[in-house]
Amino acid sequence: MRNLPLDDPGNPPLSGPVRYLWWLTLRQWGILGVAVLLGIVLFACQAALPLLTGHAIDSGLAHGFGADLWRSAALLGFLGLVSAAAGAVGHRYDVANWLRASFTSSQLVGRTVSRSGHAITAELPTGEVVSAVANDALRVGELFAVLARFVGSIVAYGIAAVLMLRISVPLGLVVILGLPAVAVSLAALIRPLQRRQVAQRDASGRLTTLGSDTVSGLRILRGIGGEGVFNARYREQSQRVRERGVDVAGTQSWLDALQVLLPGAFVVVLVWLGAHMAIDGTITAGQLVTTYGYAAFLGWPVQNATMMVQAATRAHVGAGKVINVLRVVPSSGATPGKAPMPAAGAPLVDTTSGVHVDAGRLVALVSADPDESARIATRLGRFDDEAEASTPVTLGGTPLADLDKTALRERVVVAEATPHLFSGTLAAELDVHGPQDEERLLRAIALADAHDVVDSTPGGLAGELPEKGRSLSGGQRQRVALARALLLDPEILVLVEPTSAVDAHTEARIAARLVDARGGRTTLVVTASPLVLDHVDEVQFVQDGVLVASGTHATLLESAEPWAPAYHRVVGRRLDDSTPADGVTIITDAVDGRALDAAGTDDDPIADEAFDELLATFDDDLDDHELDPTTPPRTGGRS
Amino acid sequence: MKLPIADSAQVRAYTRHLFRLHRRPLTRIAALHTLAAIAGLAGPWLLGRLVDAVADGTTTGYVDTLIAVGAAAVLAQTVLIRFAQRSSMVFGEMVFAQLREEFIETVTSLPLSTVERAGTGDLVSRTTNDINRLQHAVRFGVPRVIVAVVTITLTVIATLIMSPLVAIAMFVGVPTMVAVVRWYLKRATPAYQRESAAYAALNGTITESVEGARTVDALRLGKRRMGRVNTDLSEAFVAEKATLRLRTILFPAVDLAFVLAPVAVLVWGGYLASNDYVTLGTVTTIVLYTYQVTGPVWELIFWVDEIQVAATSLARIVGVQLVETDRVERPAQPADEDIAARGLRYAYREGHDVLHSIDLDLAAGERLAVVGPSGAGKSTLGRMLAGIHPPTGGSVTVGGVPLVDLPLDELRGHVALVTQEHHVFVGTLADNLRLADEGADDAELLRALDAVDARGWVDALPDGLSTEVGSGGAPLTPAQAQQIALARLVLLDPHTLVLDEATSLLDPRAARHLERSLNGVLEGRTVVAIAHRLHTAHDADRVAVVDGGRISEIGPHDELVAAGGDYAALWHSWQHEQA
Repeated sequence: MRNLPLDDPGNPPLSGPVRYLWWLTLRQWGILGVAVLLGIVLFACQAALPLLTGHAIDSGLAHGFGADLWRSAALLGFLGLVSAAAGAVGHRYDVANWLRASFTSSQLVGRTVSRSGHAITAELPTGEVVSAVANDALRVGELFAVLARFVGSIVAYGIAAVLMLRISVPLGLVVILGLPAVAVSLAALIRPLQRRQVAQRDASGRLTTLGSDTVSGLRILRGIGGEGVFNARYREQSQRVRERGVDVAGTQSWLDALQVLLPGAFVVVLVWLGAHMAIDGTITAGQLVTTYGYAAFLGWPVQNATMMVQAATRAHVGAGKVINVLRVVPSSGATPGKAPMPAAGAPLVDTTSGVHVDAGRLVALVSADPDESARIATRLGRFDDEAEASTPVTLGGTPLADLDKTALRERVVVAEATPHLFSGTLAAELDVHGPQDEERLLRAIALADAHDVVDSTPGGLAGELPEKGRSLSGGQRQRVALARALLLDPEILVLVEPTSAVDAHTEARIAARLVDARGGRTTLVVTASPLVLDHVDEVQFVQDGVLVASGTHATLLESAEPWAPAYHRVVGRRLDDSTPADGVTIITDAVDGRALDAAGTDDDPIADEAFDELLATFDDDLDDHELDPTTPPRTGGRS
Repeated sequence: MKLPIADSAQVRAYTRHLFRLHRRPLTRIAALHTLAAIAGLAGPWLLGRLVDAVADGTTTGYVDTLIAVGAAAVLAQTVLIRFAQRSSMVFGEMVFAQLREEFIETVTSLPLSTVERAGTGDLVSRTTNDINRLQHAVRFGVPRVIVAVVTITLTVIATLIMSPLVAIAMFVGVPTMVAVVRWYLKRATPAYQRESAAYAALNGTITESVEGARTVDALRLGKRRMGRVNTDLSEAFVAEKATLRLRTILFPAVDLAFVLAPVAVLVWGGYLASNDYVTLGTVTTIVLYTYQVTGPVWELIFWVDEIQVAATSLARIVGVQLVETDRVERPAQPADEDIAARGLRYAYREGHDVLHSIDLDLAAGERLAVVGPSGAGKSTLGRMLAGIHPPTGGSVTVGGVPLVDLPLDELRGHVALVTQEHHVFVGTLADNLRLADEGADDAELLRALDAVDARGWVDALPDGLSTEVGSGGAPLTPAQAQQIALARLVLLDPHTLVLDEATSLLDPRAARHLERSLNGVLEGRTVVAIAHRLHTAHDADRVAVVDGGRISEIGPHDELVAAGGDYAALWHSWQHEQA
């Protein structure tokens, strides 16, 4: 069997499921042909068995134990062996066909997903994409697995028909026409059964949801109570599933009974006809056995035909869903770059806001509205060519959308606020493009202050990280993501809120090391934390989507410009998740009358009583350090 | 910490217990299937009689009588199958409903410490995957196995009754078949499990790629992700090849038995018939029986295989029952609401203490901030103070009674742990709140929401308190979910709260809103706040600095600052930065 997966899954036509299935068929016609051939051999041998059995019995009746019986038995044994061999080898080919088709589909889905960017989640629910691999690809493969048996079954049916007609035309006609009639009437009964099965599956799905919901919230449930309520709810739904199951049992048991009755009645009629013909001498006793044998045997090809119809329907639906995924166009870089890459050291400029990242500097981006700075950072990352067409970002004057995406990503990396950690060894997930040598890793880990992650991961750097870094706390995940971003070491690195979930000690340490870590390469940090702002070369402050000021943190703090109160409010908030933010506002209120307005327009002003209380708490301390002269700026401000 | 998995002896014992419990319905079902299978044996028998009758010359009257018997047998089998199938399926539904309800009850009464440490991933997969896999086996497999076993047994008995001499020939291929099937079944379970694990890994990879699509794009991880898909597919391929190899041996071995059986019966039967030991009609019947028994044998092999796999799921389900309780309730009434730790030690692994002999007294109504570097043992201390884990050494008491001696309901009334984790349950908003107080009326629920400043958005919901929330319901922001969690605390009304980074994962804006909600909850309670941000410490009555599993400094903020220790250094640097 050829090794799978193939190196290149190819490029299928996406115009429709039939075209797609045909494309797959052509790609594996060789093994499919062999499988069909073996299927024909298997079924042809099987189709001869009732005839030979009848013949052997006739030989025994006519000549007793002798050469004729031996010959019939030997032929029966030989054909049996051939069909067993064809069955075993055929099964291998069936599986090979299945795997080839389904693996190719999975690979194609995997390739689309790894190239699409956020377009995939924007266009399709995650469940549907996963299901394309988990179910639909397998359904597509199934078609190729049952095809050989289907073709074999048709051949067997033809052989049986000819043999039966040669024994007796009326008996032959009853067998050939009667069986499909039985199959069709059974199929008609399947509808109501399927309806009830769907009802049960739905109820059962809800039960599973309820169960996993209960278990997902188990810590809370155990912490505050309510287990009784949840058990009762689960029990209620569980009983509902049981009742639906009893409904299914009602229909299913009738169907099972009819599956005995209809073919049984068919055989009774056939045997009655045959027996009378045998008494008349129209057919032999052995031929009566043969007739009975075919009545039983032909149920099998008919069943295979039904399976084929079902498989083809499912494959058609499955192929449609696979194509749906394959049709997703990457959100950026769908077309090749048309402009040459600007030289190293070119500035990255967001033309909409005026935010600009000049070569070699460590810049912080602060915005009155945190969503605004996140939007700017996103634009800098070129995640969506279409959406960003009206808000272009340029590198050295060339719009990012005109550049080759891969080359751009090597130079400019935007690490977003909620980065995703993937499962894998810690070393591989940290140094995603590098050599993963220990010294390099430990340096980055030290920079991001993530020693505790290595210590708490069983196996250390070689240890496995679960998906989404589930074994880590929020702060640990953030530091791992930071180390990962730093290890990429791109010419321009944009970090969005890299330390928002990290404690104050650690944040201060990381901020201090960041300067050395980037060693003169260009860096933009989106943050409002003074612990970080104090270490950067320059702060750019954005208000209402436009750059209003830049300079060192200290300069901006001292400014009395109209935007200054807003700046104070933003950077103050981070010192203390809520309280001093408003405290600072009040103090600056004395300096600048506008602050009160700013506080008043805050979309969620603090409740009055709480406000007074907080003021009382902080009054003393604020007096102490609010007017305390700041540390001298390390580098000169720009403004 | 991993949840236990039952060993095979325990699974067997559990299955035996189930069988004993349901002996009566099982007997009835087996009886019905036996009768149905007997009726199913009529066809070949009649045909044999017809062959003899035709050979010996007969009347149409005799033939018609035989056919009438056949028709009656078909009718009888039809009716019997109907009742047998119905009662076995209804029985399967009943047993399985019982099993899953018991399981959920076991899960929801797992000890607090197990729940905290084991994480929910494993439990979720047991509740969904394992339950579903087992369900498949119980619902479809058990009835099929019963039918197959009954049919095979009766067919063998029938041939032995008709002619033991001819019947011997039927078994010519059986020894090899049995040997190969045993060989196969021994290897099948791990091989198929490896296969499904490989596909699960592939699904996981795709899920990760989709969920992290932005990160994949940003850090140009596309090639790596594609490589991972190919690695998973390679593993699936290797696993598929292994199971295919098993089947490549199984299929021909079983087929061979069914090829040899009719040939042997014909030759040996023909020889016996020519010597008048038996009639050719009897030989015909037995040949037809060998064909007829093929289906049930295959079905049996298939289902034994499936049931073996289901048994591993059962082992994981029964395993949850093996978790030992972490506390024994003792009758004792706390004298007051003061919480005290004495010589408190804790080790997740024996000999590796995370906390070293901690002494701590909390006065009723005080606010204690716990600060310190990551990994210092802050969270562990918090869990001890909330009575989640029984200490390895020493004690945590409320009013003189160890927390872990209190019945759970009572413990919850004393102290509650609030973490950054929140979960909105599927159900109405009111359902979500009533977890904490089943008897609360709507007015009380609204008061609780008021207290956490959540009344505004709740009133704006389409159906207010009756709005369906949680997965599939109205979407809530993380901050709203956290407010629901806080409102539950108001309803639960414990006198002491342990806050473990309750707001640290939220973005600064959400955190600001929440802080106010939190104040509504903290009002009038003893609070232990494990904190990242120093302002919490400054705000508190006392600050405890935890480092290396010990409380290195404790006291009011001002005193600690004046003392000039670690805390003072930290505070000064923070204060310095702030300016």
